[in-house]
Amino acid sequence: MKFIVSSTYLLKQLQILGGVINNSNTLPILDNFLFDLDETELTVSASDLETTMSSTLNVESDSKGSVAIPARLLLDTLKTFPEQPLTFVVEDNNTIEISSNHGKYALAYADGNEFPNAVSLEDPSKTVVVGDVLATAISKTIFAAGNDDLRPVMSGVFFQFSTEGLTFVATDAHKLVKYTREDVKASQVAEFIMPKKPLNLLKGILAGSEDDVTIEYNDSNAKFTFENSELICRLIDGKYPNYEAVIPKENPNKLTIARTQFLNSVKRVSIFSNKTTHQIRLKIAGAELNISAEDIDYSNKAEERLTCDYQGDDLQIGFNSRFLTEMLNNLSSDEVQLEMSLPNRAGILTPIDGLDEGEQVTMLVMPVMLNN
Amino acid sequence: MPFDLPIRKIIHVDMDAFYASVEQMDNPLLKGKPVAVGGGGKRGVVSAASYEARKFGVKSAMAGNLASKLCPELIFVRPNFERYSEISKQIRSIFFDYTDLVEPLSLDEAYLDVTENKNGNPSASLIAKEIRTRILNEVGLTASAGISINKFIAKIASDYNKPNGQKTVNPEEVLEFLEQLDIRKFYGVGKVTAEKMYQKGIFTGLDLKQKSIDYLDANFGKSGRYYYHIVRGIHTSEVKPDRTRKSLAAERTFSENLSSEVFMLEKLEHIAEEVSRRLNKSKVAGKTVTLKIKYSDFTLHTRSKTLKFFISDKSVIFETAKDLLYQEKLNNSVRLLGISLSNLNTEKKEKPKEKKSVSVQLEFKF
Repeated sequence: MKFIVSSTYLLKQLQILGGVINNSNTLPILDNFLFDLDETELTVSASDLETTMSSTLNVESDSKGSVAIPARLLLDTLKTFPEQPLTFVVEDNNTIEISSNHGKYALAYADGNEFPNAVSLEDPSKTVVVGDVLATAISKTIFAAGNDDLRPVMSGVFFQFSTEGLTFVATDAHKLVKYTREDVKASQVAEFIMPKKPLNLLKGILAGSEDDVTIEYNDSNAKFTFENSELICRLIDGKYPNYEAVIPKENPNKLTIARTQFLNSVKRVSIFSNKTTHQIRLKIAGAELNISAEDIDYSNKAEERLTCDYQGDDLQIGFNSRFLTEMLNNLSSDEVQLEMSLPNRAGILTPIDGLDEGEQVTMLVMPVMLNN
Repeated sequence: MPFDLPIRKIIHVDMDAFYASVEQMDNPLLKGKPVAVGGGGKRGVVSAASYEARKFGVKSAMAGNLASKLCPELIFVRPNFERYSEISKQIRSIFFDYTDLVEPLSLDEAYLDVTENKNGNPSASLIAKEIRTRILNEVGLTASAGISINKFIAKIASDYNKPNGQKTVNPEEVLEFLEQLDIRKFYGVGKVTAEKMYQKGIFTGLDLKQKSIDYLDANFGKSGRYYYHIVRGIHTSEVKPDRTRKSLAAERTFSENLSSEVFMLEKLEHIAEEVSRRLNKSKVAGKTVTLKIKYSDFTLHTRSKTLKFFISDKSVIFETAKDLLYQEKLNNSVRLLGISLSNLNTEKKEKPKEKKSVSVQLEFKF
């Protein structure tokens, strides 16, 4: 088995695949990249058993074979090379030899058959989405997903496909984001929960991509195919909470405000908030929004006044400033609307402008109860 | 001695017809006349009746219209709780000259533990006499007192020579006193329990004493053990000077029975507002909201809900009470609605956590 490949071309692919590999693996074989050569087609794979990703590269070769090469060692070596052709040759003594312009490097390899096979999807459904649309949907939602092992369904992003459009939802029970694209439709109704890790990989790879991504899915797995790569992952098992039920329907108190101004004030004031609760207080009366925070333990205190557009009753409501900051940061509009009903009901944050046709973002945040 | 508990000296001081006496003191025209505080409205209830009125059978908690039937000359006075509370404070300051172990039960009664008192006076009876004299001289009102070895007996005793009298039950008299006592006089035995006891042939303390602890346990549940002990003079409840408020409530009796929830909501909102106002005034918040519903047939129902956080805000109290109201269909028209808040953040066990519970991050209810 022998092939010649451009060093930077290979490195670029391996760095993406490297994201799949866990830092510590129970199965040592998973510390390797699988190189599967079929003459000029080299397929490189990485896996953590839950997620398997592979990319196909064009190389110069006339042989076939399958080997698993230590990932860390290979990546560290490739990173140091300027662009040049590298020759990989599998030697008889269970090592693979790489020849560069500078010299020779030998790595011990394992048999490619030891590498776990990616699952194949039995009769999947299929939806096609533009890469950037998927990347945007992920980045709009994933920050709201939880980390609670006790509630695994909330640690992922809920994909809800229908003939009306695609909906992506994430929540950790304190904040919730619902992102809808009505301009992209699925051929049939489907729902599944994607774990965070593969989504983060996809987000990085697909940002700005105009290429189509084919999403195939069944009850237990999903497969994303794009350009020369594919990613197969296991879905999170379980029933996603009925998020629609927690979106308050009647919100008579509506606040409209410039996003960056609001964000900057929240950030500044929150510096003075309690370090464990991060609680800030919004007091809204007339056209004035008063944002304040207090850390009683250290006698720190801050207060800012902003003018805003407000319709509704005078209201006092507490929020975790980190949630507000994350949410406001994640939006890109000039103005946002915060709709509220009661101090113990969720606030609904939506962008006023800057959305594409058919795009919709709804963010919910549960308040912190204030004790006056 | 029949029991090996340390002997305590407890005084129960009970003001005589407190609200009515204050009104008579403040308004000389009312002196010597039958006076009822509260109960003026169509469905008002008498909070207190002067002794002149009691002769006619007017009692506290009696409906105003019944009271005026019993005593046509009855003068109804609007209650002025600020004034009562002011006088109550004056009286309490007298108590504190004798002991710091003062447990106020309400504006007009309190327990005092004078086992060790500031004056070193060994006679609780003399202290009680002195306190009553001082209340009369300094405040102008009469009080009655009961003196004994525990709160339970002291309270019963204060009723003995009412008004303007006192009664001491000495340690050696305790058992005899309890044996001859009508079962209805036992604190904690109400109409229902008394009825139950009568059916079992228990009419006096002596009858009660002859029942075994197992028998009482089986028939009266948790209270059985309590009855078993008190009839033997064992009641170890201490005089708790820092008795903290455990709940806060407001309620309304309607002039017409309500059958539509829509009208009730309006009333409920007012009640919530009142509860919220009282909470804010006392600077407390509570976790448990209880809705009290009294139907037109006088059956009483309560529904309650405990939240994860302390609330004092009117809108949240109202919302929660509203949920409770809608929780179940009403089975009759309603004459009274009330909201109470308990599980207050003044309760002791919450204190170390108080700082942390200042704010609670809420979650979606999936």
